[in-house]
Amino acid sequence: MKIVRKDYLPDGPGSVKMTPVDSDDLWFAYNLILPGDSVMAVTVRKVLREMASGSRDAERVKLNFGIKGIEYDKEGGVLRIRGKNILENEHVKIGQFHTLELELHRPFVLRKQVWDSLALEVLKQASDPTASADLAVLLMQEGLAQIFLVGRSVTTSRARIETSIPRKHGPAIAGYDSALNKFFQNVLQAFLKHVDFNVVRCAVIGSPGFTKDQFHRYLLLEAEKKELRPIIENKSKIILVHTSSGYKHSLRDVLDAPSVMNMIKDTKAAEEVRVLKDFYDMLSNDPDRACYGPKHVEVANERLAVQTLLLTDDLFRNADVPTRRKYVDLVTSVKGSGGKAHIFSTMHSSGEQLAQLTGIAAILRFPLPDLEDIEM
Amino acid sequence: MPRKVNRGVDYDEAYDSYDDYDYEDDNDYSVDSPAKVEEPQQKVKKLWSCSICTYDNEEGMSVCDICGVIRNPVAGDFKNSNKKTAAFKFDAPSPDDMVSTRLQSSKLNTQGMFFFFVLIAVCCLDFNHSETFHGSSGSIEGHNSLKKGILSGQLSDEASGSSNPLKIEGTQGNADDDFSGQKQTAPASNFGKMSLSDKPGNSNALDSRKHKSTAEYHPDKWMLPDKANDTLTQLNLAIVGHVDSGKSTLSGRLLHLLGRITKKEMHKYEKDAKIQGKSSFAYAWALDESPEERERGITMNVAVAYFNSKKYHVVILDSPGHKDFVPNMISGATQADAAILVIDASNGAFEAGFDGSKGQTREHALLIRSFGVEQLIVAVNKMDVVGYSKDRFDLIVTQLGTFFRSCGFKESCILWIPLSAVENQNLVAAPSDARLLSWYRGPYLFDAIDSLQPPARDFAKPLLMPICDVTKSSSQGQVSVCGKLVAGALRSGLKVMVMPSGEVGTIKSLERDSQSSAVARAGDNVTINLQGIDLSNNVMPGGVVCHPDYPVAVARHLELKVRALEELAVPILNGSQVEFHIHHAQAAGKVAKILSILDPKSGKETKRSPRCLLSKQSAVIEVVLNTPVCVEEYSNCRALGRASLRAMGRTIAIGIVTRIIQ
Repeated sequence: MKIVRKDYLPDGPGSVKMTPVDSDDLWFAYNLILPGDSVMAVTVRKVLREMASGSRDAERVKLNFGIKGIEYDKEGGVLRIRGKNILENEHVKIGQFHTLELELHRPFVLRKQVWDSLALEVLKQASDPTASADLAVLLMQEGLAQIFLVGRSVTTSRARIETSIPRKHGPAIAGYDSALNKFFQNVLQAFLKHVDFNVVRCAVIGSPGFTKDQFHRYLLLEAEKKELRPIIENKSKIILVHTSSGYKHSLRDVLDAPSVMNMIKDTKAAEEVRVLKDFYDMLSNDPDRACYGPKHVEVANERLAVQTLLLTDDLFRNADVPTRRKYVDLVTSVKGSGGKAHIFSTMHSSGEQLAQLTGIAAILRFPLPDLEDIEM
Repeated sequence: MPRKVNRGVDYDEAYDSYDDYDYEDDNDYSVDSPAKVEEPQQKVKKLWSCSICTYDNEEGMSVCDICGVIRNPVAGDFKNSNKKTAAFKFDAPSPDDMVSTRLQSSKLNTQGMFFFFVLIAVCCLDFNHSETFHGSSGSIEGHNSLKKGILSGQLSDEASGSSNPLKIEGTQGNADDDFSGQKQTAPASNFGKMSLSDKPGNSNALDSRKHKSTAEYHPDKWMLPDKANDTLTQLNLAIVGHVDSGKSTLSGRLLHLLGRITKKEMHKYEKDAKIQGKSSFAYAWALDESPEERERGITMNVAVAYFNSKKYHVVILDSPGHKDFVPNMISGATQADAAILVIDASNGAFEAGFDGSKGQTREHALLIRSFGVEQLIVAVNKMDVVGYSKDRFDLIVTQLGTFFRSCGFKESCILWIPLSAVENQNLVAAPSDARLLSWYRGPYLFDAIDSLQPPARDFAKPLLMPICDVTKSSSQGQVSVCGKLVAGALRSGLKVMVMPSGEVGTIKSLERDSQSSAVARAGDNVTINLQGIDLSNNVMPGGVVCHPDYPVAVARHLELKVRALEELAVPILNGSQVEFHIHHAQAAGKVAKILSILDPKSGKETKRSPRCLLSKQSAVIEVVLNTPVCVEEYSNCRALGRASLRAMGRTIAIGIVTRIIQ
């Protein structure tokens, strides 16, 4: 995200003009824009003109409208906003409803009544170019392969290949080999299509067992055979990691692996994985010092027990103003009492996991065994 | 778990008395135990005539057999069996539901309908065991009214829906045995034939998929085993254990000694192994066929091999021991009827395998137990390395023994055998080494296999065969699926349905151990070639081949009763992401809700909606899967109702499916 112009008071009204530059930025925008804010952006509208021929024309129209709704399409990476016009121009009357898509490389102005600390945090993150992870991950197990792109705050699933591979049975062993070969062939196609080494820092192949090694060997062999330049040139960027399965939630094994960790050390994705792991560790070692669920965390915070707060961005997004306020206050109060707060992107696998645990969790400073007794 | 079935008939309250007719169906739903049902017709001593319908009832009856009118309010020898009542809950359509829905609805139709609902009750009782009754056909009047009875039963079925959770207040006791026996025999034997002939045609008119209950299923004659033809039954024997404990080598050695591997083949394995510098793996290579497995020297997939013992056609399922391949082990070894757990006796190796966090010995043993295996042979391998020391053997026996008890293995079902696969000690003959001979007097391995009890099979239930493996041959347009028949039987020409796609295909041929065979029955491990199945449509391992009229349920939201394993790395929380394994199917999913924690001993609920589930706790949980799997409730079909949950490369819980929610 490029910030063109900033004009706001912290915890007060103001506007920011920004330009989204990659699909991650749309996600940030999605988290920034809330119902009640206003957005000024340029879009294309069909304008009916009173011309002699009576022809229709498309024209760029600047719209400024109050937000009513906002949608994010995670597969296509499209952000769509909906609202009521508040600035009349020659084509659009006041009060008309319009929907537009925020596009990459096209600036827009976001005006908020209140720029709270969280919004500013998101803005800061969005404009920090060094935090990007940009990792391509191929998760495999025999018969199943999935390709993910892990960005700064978004993990997108790009391809999924599933075939049945016969197990060994005497003479049928040949069927196994050919089926496995076919499977690898499909995976290779998908890999070439979706992994762009100009963008990603590295490509990780993860699987339980030896599927990753088998595929890696196949990949290099095919690259030699077919002269696949992108692979030959980027051989060193391909990392093999052991994971516990080929399903999506094994992404955490990938992000946890030391070799990958080194590559993406300071990124948000890696941090999230680390914090969530800490939470799980605490829960298994000292269950009284970890809690989840809004009620429990709130109680813990009242007693100043929260050391690390884990939240998903989901909680801030579609919530109404008082609820958002509540969570913002929670974050501020935790930070105020010397704790840390981590806001997880629900588009990452770790955020997804946290979302399953009600979206809010905390590691506590001291044990609170009586939390057990409070109804969740 | 034997299932007790209770059926009660509620008489109209206008009659001031509430009687329960109980019929205790002795567990297991297998029809081959009709002994209980076929009670000898008792001699009629005295008759009394019903004041309403003038039917001549037997002396022992306190109520009219036809219309249910009470003879006189306090019958002398009538034992009221309302003392021990227990609430039962059934959710899926089952024979009991059909009965109870009918009963409930008939309860609504008051007095006027009396005539029918007694008949309904009779014919419902009869449904389950009608094959045992081949009495002569009843009177015409009986036929007609019975038909009406069935009809009204169906109507009520439709009305009340089959998924209604029903509580049947029934009695569970013995007080009424003689009573219900008498009550039932006379009319049942009359109408037995009737309901038999009615069964397939009539009652399937409505949406039969859900309403059909297995109790209505009647196997053809060929489906039941013919004792004369084949004296050997099939025994699926899983070989499990920690990595490098010598499972494949043991299997290979066994096959070699029993002549299943020719000298030439063995020579080739030895030569090849030597070339790769792994001569000790020669026997294992008989089972580890893929180049990948040979190169790495570990088993990756479950290998299947066959041999005959004195009592059994033994199917060996040689499982991988490496922890990454536990999913493969699960999908391969769920077929097991019994298991050999191989232990590496050498110093350090046993301890490493038995170590809770790294070794697979515990995990395998628990998994095997969760597959329903009760009989275990513990093969303490590599005794040669420790010099056939008795002390070492005893140490292992004591340590493992305690653990097995905690898993729920019965001590009497465990056989401990010290052996050495490499030195061929105690495999198919008594040991020759003096050091072992000096203290060991027990059976050798081959003997021990024969001493296993034959597993019970569900021959008489509708066909169910989870698919373990699929090969497609596009040239012939057929799909070969292989697996173990859980229930029922099949032969070529039979139409079967492949779930979850629901396609119907025809069995073209059957193979067992690469040889074609005519018939396969429950318990057999076979490959079937199917025709008429769309090749592009994914028939995947994890699907189930079943009877077209009795398709298996496909669900993604399940209620499970689980036990968390010891030393969980991470407790199970609401929302924990898990890999769900059931028969050969696996799917990613999450724990949607932990409903309650149970006391491991009594099974009583100790805590509602807990925060998390810790090691060794038992609990009822709900699981939501990303992709639906074929599943049955444990009470309906054990093999399709046993599940295990894994996370982060470890098994975290094992359990059974108690309810299919969606």
